[in-house]
Amino acid sequence: MTELLAIVTLGLMFSLFLGLLRILRGPGAGNRMLAAQLIGTTGVAMLLLLSLLLDQYALIDVALILALLAAVAAAAFTGQQRESGHD
Amino acid sequence: MNATMLLIFDALLLASIIGLAWAALASADARRSVILFIAFGLLLAVAWGRLLAPDVALAEAAIGAGLTGALLLAALQWQPRKTADTTNSEQPTHTLLETGFRWLVTLLCAALAGMLAWSLTQIDAGTAKDALANAVAANIDASGVSNPVTAVLLNFRAYDTLLELAVLLTAVLGIFALGPAQAGYRIAGPVFTSLTRWLTPLLILTAGYLLWVGAHAPGGAFQAGATLAAAGVVLRLAGRDQIGLPRGNALRIALGAGVGMFLLVGLALFALGRPFLGYPPAWAGALILLIETAAMLAIAATLVSAFIGGQPTEEKTRC
Repeated sequence: MTELLAIVTLGLMFSLFLGLLRILRGPGAGNRMLAAQLIGTTGVAMLLLLSLLLDQYALIDVALILALLAAVAAAAFTGQQRESGHD
Repeated sequence: MNATMLLIFDALLLASIIGLAWAALASADARRSVILFIAFGLLLAVAWGRLLAPDVALAEAAIGAGLTGALLLAALQWQPRKTADTTNSEQPTHTLLETGFRWLVTLLCAALAGMLAWSLTQIDAGTAKDALANAVAANIDASGVSNPVTAVLLNFRAYDTLLELAVLLTAVLGIFALGPAQAGYRIAGPVFTSLTRWLTPLLILTAGYLLWVGAHAPGGAFQAGATLAAAGVVLRLAGRDQIGLPRGNALRIALGAGVGMFLLVGLALFALGRPFLGYPPAWAGALILLIETAAMLAIAATLVSAFIGGQPTEEKTRC
């Protein structure tokens, strides 16, 4: 069971790497922000898996905060886009 | 098998964090830097979790990834935009002074990293590190809480936390010196409004949860305050005028609540013949919760004030 968890965690890491490519290449600010959101969502999933792998149940709380606050950062970004009339 | 996979995971995580940090610093476009910095904060929270430091991971997730990102994006808005966000934006020309300054910062950072690495080699396994952990573990029963981090922050080293709150209070005075806050953003569209409707209560509820859970598990006033502030930020972004931030004297009380409650409890104990902030063990749990509640409100009010970027205008003078 823990092996399966480790494999899935590693798989998520590779998906995160693809997100990194997008955030570095862009081209627009919107692309980058969506890639950052993908990294955030992947981070939430990784934290949940790590909480089981490492027997650290507090990491579930970290995942909760990360999910909520990543949404705030995205909201701030869209607010700024609307305001500046960009994209 | 598992150990090998976790090792690969660690290596990839480390490479991503360093790569993102490098890209954020090397970017010529400020907005791209901010987005890269947000992603950097998200990954850093995962790294702290991997290092079995959930308290730090919580703080990083709340403050580093979420609120700082929103603050930096808001700050960008006030700055006139120079270049469009394209991958091939031209490199800005640096003056000799700027280049020299960059090298100075680089050298200072390298010196700090070298010092940290050196101190790591000096720490013998089983001396200083364990001595501190053992001292906390031996006295945890007298602290009134069972989470060692909260015990250190609010009891054993309460002075440090009191002074940290004083630093925050000073910072907010600096922000107020910038003048009145700008008017709220325009009203959001239907998608954002419906997001606000479920995100805001969730954030407030989570802040209360973090405050309460801090006594026996990772959490506490700083993380709770940042989460509560995020609720205010979301409401502000949605174009609300009332974002839960009090005005006038009530705001002053909220901002000073952290330092004020700390001093009140400390001086009251002093008057009762105990050392300053030396809680009686029977009362320690309740007093810590009291101080943390006040600190959470002060931290949240400070962070929201920082986000709106000035003193909120008084009700009376609004038109």
